[in-house]
Amino acid sequence: MALTGIQIFKMTPKKNCKECGCPTCMAFSMKVAQGAMDISACPHMSEDALAQLSEATAPPMKTIKVGTGDNEYSLGGETVLYRHEKTFVSKTRYAASVCTCMDDAAIDARLASVSAVDYERIGERMYTELVYVNYAKDTDSAKYVELVKKAAATGRTLVLGCKCPETAKAALDVCKDAKPVLNGADASNYEEMSKIATEAGVVLGVSGANLDELYDTTAALEKLGNKNLVLDVTMGSVKETFEAAVSVRRAAVKDTDRTFGYPSIVNLAALVQGDKPMQQALAALFTMKYGSIVVVEEMDYAMALPLYGLRQNLFTDPQKPMKVAPGIYPLNGADENSICLTTVDFALTYFLVSGELERSGIPCNLVISDAGGLSVLTAWAAGKLSSTSISTYIKEEVEGKVKSRKLIIPGKVAVLKGDLEAKLPGWEIIVAPLEAVQLVKFLKDMQANGQL
Amino acid sequence: MAKFVVIGERISVTAPSINRAFAEKDPEPILTRAKQQLDAGATYLDVNIGPAENNGEDIMKWAVTLLQENFDNVPLALDTANKKAIEAGISVYNRSKGKPIVNSADASGRIEYIDLAAANDAIVIALCNGEGIAKDNDERMAYLTTLLERGLEHGMEDQDIWFDPLFVVVKGMQEKQMQVLEFIKMISDMGLNSTGGLSNNSNGAPKTLRPIMDASLVAMCMMQGLTSAIVNPNDLRLMETIKTCDVFKGNTLYADSYLEI
Amino acid sequence: MPFNRKPQKFSASIKEVEIGCGEKAIKIGGASVFPFYTFDGDEGNAPKVGVEISDMGLEHASEGVKAYYAGASTMAEIAKKAAEMPGGDFVVLRLEGGDPNGANKSIEELVAVAKEVADAIDAPLVVEGCKNVEKDSELLPKIAEALQGKNVLLMSAKEEDYKAIGAAAGLAYNQKVGAESADDINLAKQLNVVLTQLGVAPESIVMNVGTAAVGYGFDYVISTMDRVRAAALSQDDKMLQMPIIAPVASETWSVKESTASEEDAPGWGSVEERGVSMEVQTAAACLVSGSDAVILKHPQSVATISKMIKELM
Repeated sequence: MALTGIQIFKMTPKKNCKECGCPTCMAFSMKVAQGAMDISACPHMSEDALAQLSEATAPPMKTIKVGTGDNEYSLGGETVLYRHEKTFVSKTRYAASVCTCMDDAAIDARLASVSAVDYERIGERMYTELVYVNYAKDTDSAKYVELVKKAAATGRTLVLGCKCPETAKAALDVCKDAKPVLNGADASNYEEMSKIATEAGVVLGVSGANLDELYDTTAALEKLGNKNLVLDVTMGSVKETFEAAVSVRRAAVKDTDRTFGYPSIVNLAALVQGDKPMQQALAALFTMKYGSIVVVEEMDYAMALPLYGLRQNLFTDPQKPMKVAPGIYPLNGADENSICLTTVDFALTYFLVSGELERSGIPCNLVISDAGGLSVLTAWAAGKLSSTSISTYIKEEVEGKVKSRKLIIPGKVAVLKGDLEAKLPGWEIIVAPLEAVQLVKFLKDMQANGQL
Repeated sequence: MAKFVVIGERISVTAPSINRAFAEKDPEPILTRAKQQLDAGATYLDVNIGPAENNGEDIMKWAVTLLQENFDNVPLALDTANKKAIEAGISVYNRSKGKPIVNSADASGRIEYIDLAAANDAIVIALCNGEGIAKDNDERMAYLTTLLERGLEHGMEDQDIWFDPLFVVVKGMQEKQMQVLEFIKMISDMGLNSTGGLSNNSNGAPKTLRPIMDASLVAMCMMQGLTSAIVNPNDLRLMETIKTCDVFKGNTLYADSYLEI
Repeated sequence: MPFNRKPQKFSASIKEVEIGCGEKAIKIGGASVFPFYTFDGDEGNAPKVGVEISDMGLEHASEGVKAYYAGASTMAEIAKKAAEMPGGDFVVLRLEGGDPNGANKSIEELVAVAKEVADAIDAPLVVEGCKNVEKDSELLPKIAEALQGKNVLLMSAKEEDYKAIGAAAGLAYNQKVGAESADDINLAKQLNVVLTQLGVAPESIVMNVGTAAVGYGFDYVISTMDRVRAAALSQDDKMLQMPIIAPVASETWSVKESTASEEDAPGWGSVEERGVSMEVQTAAACLVSGSDAVILKHPQSVATISKMIKELM
């Protein structure tokens, strides 16, 4: 728990010596409680007090690392509850799940599907990062170890959902070097599980029947010296799980209750088993509200396309616009003879324009040059979308690859037409309508008039 | 950040019409001034019934009930040297729109007002002075510490103690102005709330000058972290300045019509 | 030591707005805590789900939507089916055919469609214009007049046309007004100020603060809704305490993920499933950011989101 000013004040020498730069010890204590000053500024604190205080002034939420090499992921470390306050630092990671309760064919199909979703979206690789391997009660321990081996063969980082200490130990023996998570501690077994996780050098997942039990078990694990934890906030119902996910993050970040200062796991495969649309809804919900690892049964494209898009938006830096790479984007089966259109590299503009162009069904080449990730008018005002920038790019990158000599420019920068005609001899410069939604009709009219 | 809290100062025995209204229990002048202040954007209304040694309890109860019944339980600051009158006022006070404010404690003779506020779960205005005005900010800080400790010992939340740096008059104490501003920053750095009789700075200045003096000072104070002031909300220039500073500080969201709401 | 709960309680709350009449009327808003934070305090009315239909019929609808409406040919029949969709709370009629760059239907024709729909159902009705400012400023007041007594929500009054639409819908014909701003929180507030200054009661205003499909600039949507809700509750900003409605379907069914055919996007799987998932996930994200109502199209999405709301309330 964070200390209040008065609690800190009681530990100070109360001499008002001013050596810290504050007029009184009370003023100093209040500032330390605010986080505005560090306790070390006081030269007269006792060792005891310092130890107690350094704990209380540590970051509110720990950063926990799982996996190794290219498959190493940082979880947690957040300092705010809303993205407009400050950029979120550790994005949600997704797991597909397999279970000893599934038959072999289903397991093989599921594991095969793990690598199926793998694509790039605005410079970010989107894929299933984790595999959750569940040990169902009363199933064969040896079968679980075999399942873990199979899952490990996917190359993905594993989360072992296993509450049986012997089985967990056996499973870790075959996969611990890849730094999986052992999600298996609860009120009944935490001492033993903590020992197993610590010996194997892996992160331990903690769960509880309710928030209080989760809190107590986490506190007990911390007392044992294990602070390499993630908290499984999955409870008996969707409602309780949502409460737990929010409460854990809020307690840590807003109320600086460090016992809950760990990343979280939300296991939708367990919570709404078999209900695919509900898993889609809740995967989005728990990406928004504080799941560090979200487990679904299967990650297919229907699940992934919206979910990864949402995550990309949520975790983007509000100060930095999302940009697409400069280049020629052929749409609707365009070739070197198809007409060219150009706009800025601001991701939102690109999506809007390319979406409309795709809707038109007319083959065309969308030419994107570097405009600093700004929207059309902003880029133009900042000098990043100019007749020079466009003509240079066309000459250097387009003329050699495209035979068409028709270029459509955004309606908002119609003023560039004259300059572009001067700088790009041989090109016909055409001004598009003001809004992207008008592009479909515009292009279809051009086609009808034989202008394409 | 919360919006700057304007405590309207115009229901006070220092105004002859209000003094008479309290004495005769005549609602009209009090309700008129209350409405003017609330329409202009006051959050709290200060109810200064003066020393009220004889019938203070009775008057305060009457005033609290009168104002809260007529203005949707408007939150009030109870302002009198008669402690019993404050307690009486709180006994009939409705908290749905905000805790009552006890106005005010200091670090010497009126320190028990802190206890009173603590016992009644009220906010208290705590003047950072003892006997006479503090000579420098070290002394102010010592008073603040005394007051803060007292409140916390009695179980108050630190946010419920609103420290008053004591605004001083320009005509006569011009050289102390920056000191007061610096002290506000010290209060703010400790994460605490502050308030005070800001218009005291322009006492004795020509009437035409007071709005610009008050407005300029409030802007400087808000920059330093002042969270509230006891002022005349019917001073348009002052209120527009406060609303504008609230926008710059992010305490309210900008809209083209922000001055009109 | 048990977990020390620190609920975020606010003395402010979102206003309640009623749409529709009689037994089927709905109330949206009323929360005094963040979305679905029922553990903190009073969440007010459960968020509501609208079912979108268009005056352009079902031509562009996905297969699943077409299948649901199979057998319905007139607008009245389509509206009836929409009103009966399991999980739906209200019907939304989009008059997209009014777009001068599209079908450019006449005002009279569109008013007739709205009348036909309104008369066919007793579920609450929301009528959306064609998004063309000039056309809408003429069309929506006419709709407001024609549907008097039905207590419909008209969308939307924008910065350019709030006077015409606000005066007709909010004042003359006693309907509800949707105030639309596109991810601009200052404009969202300003529109509420000028609409109330015009005389529209705050309890008659619903905000559309802008939405997008997830992945398509949804970061702005999240931050706008987060900040509106925070200002409404923690700063008690009365000019942002109007409930929020998010037209999800019109955004999600036009993006590539929902439209790319299975031939064009091999490996992506069923286009229908992709469309539903896009709609469902966008709706879930809007709701948890602070939307008090979402507008959807596909029966599977409506069922899923209404079930999710029930589970969370």
